[in-house]
Amino acid sequence: MKVLIVGNGIAGNEVAFSLRKARMDLDITIVSAERFPEYDPCSLPYFIGRDVPRQTVFRKTWDDYRSHRINLLLEQRVMSIDPEARHATTEKGLTLGYDRLVLAHGGSLFIPPIAGIDTPGVHSCKQLSEADRLDQSSGSAAVVIGSGAIGIEAGEALKKRGYEVTVIELLDWILPALFDPESSRRLEESLQRCGIRVLTSEKVLAIEGAERVSAVVTDKRRIPCDTVVIATGVVPGKALAQTAGIEVQRGIRVNEHLQTSAPGIFACGDCVETVDACTGEDAMFQLKHNALEQAQVVARNILGVTSAYPGAWAFARAHFFDTHAVTFGKTTRATQCELGQLEIIERDEGPDYLRVIVKEGLVVGGQAIGKFADFIGLFMGAMWRKDAIPSIRQNWPLIARSGSIYPWTTRKLGELIGLKS
Amino acid sequence: MHTIMPPDKNPFILIDPEKCSGCRLCEMACAMLHTGRCSPKHSRIRILSFDGASSHMPLLCQACEQAPCIKCCPMNARGRTAEGAVVTDPDRCIGCRACLYICPFATPAVDPDTGKTMTCDLCADDGTGPWCVKACRDCGALKVSEAREVVARKCRGGAEIAKHAFKKPTLRETP
Repeated sequence: MKVLIVGNGIAGNEVAFSLRKARMDLDITIVSAERFPEYDPCSLPYFIGRDVPRQTVFRKTWDDYRSHRINLLLEQRVMSIDPEARHATTEKGLTLGYDRLVLAHGGSLFIPPIAGIDTPGVHSCKQLSEADRLDQSSGSAAVVIGSGAIGIEAGEALKKRGYEVTVIELLDWILPALFDPESSRRLEESLQRCGIRVLTSEKVLAIEGAERVSAVVTDKRRIPCDTVVIATGVVPGKALAQTAGIEVQRGIRVNEHLQTSAPGIFACGDCVETVDACTGEDAMFQLKHNALEQAQVVARNILGVTSAYPGAWAFARAHFFDTHAVTFGKTTRATQCELGQLEIIERDEGPDYLRVIVKEGLVVGGQAIGKFADFIGLFMGAMWRKDAIPSIRQNWPLIARSGSIYPWTTRKLGELIGLKS
Repeated sequence: MHTIMPPDKNPFILIDPEKCSGCRLCEMACAMLHTGRCSPKHSRIRILSFDGASSHMPLLCQACEQAPCIKCCPMNARGRTAEGAVVTDPDRCIGCRACLYICPFATPAVDPDTGKTMTCDLCADDGTGPWCVKACRDCGALKVSEAREVVARKCRGGAEIAKHAFKKPTLRETP
């Protein structure tokens, strides 16, 4: 059986290596638009900030591909797929036949429509080649457009390199998809304390400069700089699937076995739209752990073991200088348009902050900074098990305090939400 | 190359919180082996005390079969060793604590000197077995066990319950 994998990212490689581990007789080919072995996009800001050497961003070496007999086609982009004839064509005109096709090409950086976006000195941090370029350039003042996880991490990395850093966010608070304003304000303060300027509710109008970037113009001010980093998020790559007649929405639509609407074609990673494992709603969390889990499900399905994908889950952490923050599940903003009684449990002790979002008695999300973050896993467990917070409160004196079935996680959780022993 | 699933016959440390007296000798032993200092802050096993230190819970990496920390680590620093333990590679770790936050038991400990996380490696370098288990000889709250031993014990326990459940009530026992 010939398996063709589009994309040499985390999902694509996980499919290829899981298949090889199970079966020796498959013909596995990965088509990659880049010219590197598999690397981890999450680690790029740390490499730019010189926290780790460059070789640690790689997850595989060339030898891994050779020893697992996985064919690599580098710097080739798949341009079209013919699901009827079961072959794919690359931009160099190569036609590749397949029995099973896996679409794992991920997404591409969202390029905001700003004048002067192609001026030299405008960088991004999505791909290794782009990160290399940012790493090799030098300058003294940087502006980061967008304050998602990558934007904040890139800002921190450039600060460590000695740049004057300004982070600009269009919305009212930083990390808008991950944190609520209450937690974001604290993170914003700690960023400012470390010397990173944070500007929220500000819109970038233009990037100035001819030979090299000289300034960024927003609706409120003009910021002189010599480096701009675009970190405005990732849009799922669905054009390839769309032209092949595969059903797409925000991303490529897949069923519970991660099959697309075309027979023999699977999809996984950043380019698919799946369901939330907890709520069952349509969701897209472009996170590494989801890509890995999806890839394992795809590999099992290709091998003929019908297995269902339970859904994606949201978990992210933000870490800069000495601040540690974590978020999981939904934010308050995401729950506001839903029915159901909302309760917010907050604990605020100086630099430490805990915020748990409880809907209809069940934990649906949470955020924590500092010491409370260490035990956030207990709240995630409560979310997965659907532990009812009102019943923990009500039964608090009756919950066993010792014994072999001692529910220590529940007791610790009760202590964290402020129940006294 | 790290694998996600542990080998079949790997030893692990079985915890019995009921027997734990909270003496924290295990913390001392762990720090002693790994850093050469009697500093509980450098220990990979931690004792969590509840209700005014009347009950205790030893926290130790459980080396989950589907360990979420391996998937969530942004630097791929978490991986499984040949013994089945899940450990942090200190050369790759950047101290972001993602493994600690995703852990359902909050077990990874943070090294106070470097800020990097560390978890139980079953004292693999020592060769004489986990030091915390040796330190816990008096209480017996920690024990080295194998998966099949635990499975056998559970099966026997289950059979015992089933025996009682399916036993036909005799005349004397019926009320």
